[in-house]
Amino acid sequence: MIPRPLTALAAATLLFAGCEEERPVDRATREGILLLGNGDEPKALDPHLISSVGDSNIMRALFEGLVTYHPSEDATHAPGVAERWEHNEDYTEWTFHLRDDARWSNGDPVTAGDFVYAYNRILHPDLGSPYASMLHLLENGEEFNKGEIDDFSQVGAKAPDAHTLVCTLREPAPYFPDLVKHTTWLPVHKPTIEKFGNMTDQFTLWQRPGNHVGNGPFMLESWRINGGVKVIPNPHYWDRETVTLNGIVFYPLANNFTEERAFRDGLIHKTYIIPPDLIGYHKAESPEYIKLDPYAGVYFYRCNVTKAPLDNKSLRKALAFAIDRETIVKYVSQAGEQPAYGVVPPTEGGYQPHHGVEFDLDKAKAYLKEAGYESGADVPEFEILINTSESHKAIAAAVQDMWKKHLGIEKVTIANQEWKVFQTTLRELRYQCSRSGWIGDYLDPSTFLTMWRTGDDNNQTGWGNPDFDRLLTEAANQIDPGERFAKFREAEAVLLDELPMIPIYWYTQKYLLDPAVGGWHPLLLDNHPYKHVRLDPSKIPSE
Amino acid sequence: MDTISDIEKGSSLGRDAWVRLKKNKMAMFGLWFFVGITLVCFLLPLLPVLPDPNATSPELRSLGPFSEAVANDGTERFYLLGSDNLGRDIFARIVDGGRVSLMVGFIATAVSLLIGVVYGAVAGYVGGRLDSVMMRVVDILYALPFMIIVIILTTFFDNSLWLLFLAIGAVEWLTMSRIVRAQVLSLKEQEFVDAARSLGLSNGQIIFRHIIPNTLGPVIVYTTLTVPAVMRLEAILSFLGLGVQPPNASWGSLVKEGADRMISDPALLIFPSAIFALTLFAFNFLGDGLRDALDVRASKD
Repeated sequence: MIPRPLTALAAATLLFAGCEEERPVDRATREGILLLGNGDEPKALDPHLISSVGDSNIMRALFEGLVTYHPSEDATHAPGVAERWEHNEDYTEWTFHLRDDARWSNGDPVTAGDFVYAYNRILHPDLGSPYASMLHLLENGEEFNKGEIDDFSQVGAKAPDAHTLVCTLREPAPYFPDLVKHTTWLPVHKPTIEKFGNMTDQFTLWQRPGNHVGNGPFMLESWRINGGVKVIPNPHYWDRETVTLNGIVFYPLANNFTEERAFRDGLIHKTYIIPPDLIGYHKAESPEYIKLDPYAGVYFYRCNVTKAPLDNKSLRKALAFAIDRETIVKYVSQAGEQPAYGVVPPTEGGYQPHHGVEFDLDKAKAYLKEAGYESGADVPEFEILINTSESHKAIAAAVQDMWKKHLGIEKVTIANQEWKVFQTTLRELRYQCSRSGWIGDYLDPSTFLTMWRTGDDNNQTGWGNPDFDRLLTEAANQIDPGERFAKFREAEAVLLDELPMIPIYWYTQKYLLDPAVGGWHPLLLDNHPYKHVRLDPSKIPSE
Repeated sequence: MDTISDIEKGSSLGRDAWVRLKKNKMAMFGLWFFVGITLVCFLLPLLPVLPDPNATSPELRSLGPFSEAVANDGTERFYLLGSDNLGRDIFARIVDGGRVSLMVGFIATAVSLLIGVVYGAVAGYVGGRLDSVMMRVVDILYALPFMIIVIILTTFFDNSLWLLFLAIGAVEWLTMSRIVRAQVLSLKEQEFVDAARSLGLSNGQIIFRHIIPNTLGPVIVYTTLTVPAVMRLEAILSFLGLGVQPPNASWGSLVKEGADRMISDPALLIFPSAIFALTLFAFNFLGDGLRDALDVRASKD
């Protein structure tokens, strides 16, 4: 195994703990370098090829969308490359007016054509983007993505001139400015991409330091495998004055415990997450560092409905009703999460959460009978797949034991895979039951529901239901918010009746934050615009 | 009369060794500890006294040793060494994990012993071109990256414990064969081998009756080093997700889980690592004592 530099650094710091040496994080604070723990090693630095939260964190530094995130308010749209925007009466046509001074990190102007090029690239079937469905909202976007039409000029994205972008949508989307903040809607620099390959080539050399060109507040300085991604301010960025940081380093620290120790040893400003078993310790010992914020996300177990035994709907229901969610959030995940009895979390702009599943042993046993099993011992062996992590492991062990204790299902095994392998296994439906999570891409119930449409890239269960698809389409064509939410609720009820996914809990954001970091406010989507983040050397704790 | 006949009867090599071993207090401690821990790990789970090592009660998490508690569903639980982060019994998990760790240690070492000794003895005794070829094969196998081989094996076959035994055993025999070969090279030039040959014994008989028993000293020492090394390897593989799968435990995975929660729950680290360390000590003392007992010359050096 390649030793992680940070671990070696941690060991070195432990050695010199007795000396009066400045902690690396305090030196970084003085130098204005933000050090962040960022989960797993990034898959790519290409906004069109990533799908994980950690990777999108890096994208927000390197690229800027038409609209960007506000540092403290979830509902406010901060202008990005677009200075202003307007829409037609029924929210199906949006016109963005791009600012004149937006620049790529090599000095080239950012134009509306760059966005059209980017949309063409991500939607192109040959690229195979894992997240292209985000752009299916564009008129003919889905058809182009599925290869039904070849001519991109039929897709609803036009650049009448260099600074005007017109998006035509297939259905009304009042939340569209929210949507275009997402990584999938980021522009890419055509000359750079095509210098290192064709438009639709995956993982070419353009992502390397020295080659990479972005339009964000920061630009790529270095990327070492397992050593971190470092970004420095982009001198051509239109809002350069707002950026006060001199750099950000994103460290891949997949082991939550290692990351927590790195924080305690003064190696990073912020952890990506905190292991549940250490929350109690930090609440008692260092309450000023620990942050538990609401977070728009749902933690659930995917069931592969194409494989036995979980192709049996009643068995899925039995499993769902035998999970004691209260116990899990209180004693296993421990960060004040809310037990999830539905799919859409209570953070989605006034949408009333569903109560479709619950912990009810009588019903669970009845469903087990209905599934055709006299007792749990008759249920054939199946496997829970998790990505390697202590907290997923703990929850899986607890869930497995609940099924055993409450239903007598003995033959459930747990297997773990590294994150990249895990994602592929899910995509190819080579699993039976799998731990999963979904973080909202924008604040609207649709972000938690559209992924369950038949054949969606992020569905990954093989499940599909025409009623569900129809209800979502009907909801999408509603402009009245009340009617729209009612349709979503109906669709969610269908989903909760068939349970291709078993909800466990609604997330909270849990992390450790150094007091020197300013401008880091709780956000439901946790997408912090780095240009507003400050480091305050006066807040360095004196020993 | 008795004493004289006793003296006349003489005593076997094994008996001499046992008498000498008994005088070595540390080695005897090692032996009894090893026998004790093996009995506990393999026999105790058969009795109904031990709780299910994978039974969780999250509401009873992180209790101290000797605690009695009632779970939410009304069952009374007694934790001899306390409970872990999911309310599982630490003692039961250590016993259960010990079974896996010791089994990996024994079986993988036995596999490596069998292959390594025979391979090394044949190569050393026959010598010449065959020796060169056999040792180059060992060199080549040495050069293959162990982790990658195991990962490839697990993708081709299912992820099972037997594969783990096989994979570790198949790699660990390389050093053993080199050690045995080096011993045999010097042994085969000695007079007793010439004597055996002049008596008309076949090569096979010479190797198995005369040469291999004389390599026992270094082999035993190396075996005692192999057992803990193998147990450590198992821990590494379990950590990578290739060994023991959750919720099952091995000592390696228990130590790993405990090390992570060191600041919040030190007992999770202390108990399994104390047992693990004691077992490794016991193996080393026992191996040392056995070498002294079996190889009088070496012990007097």
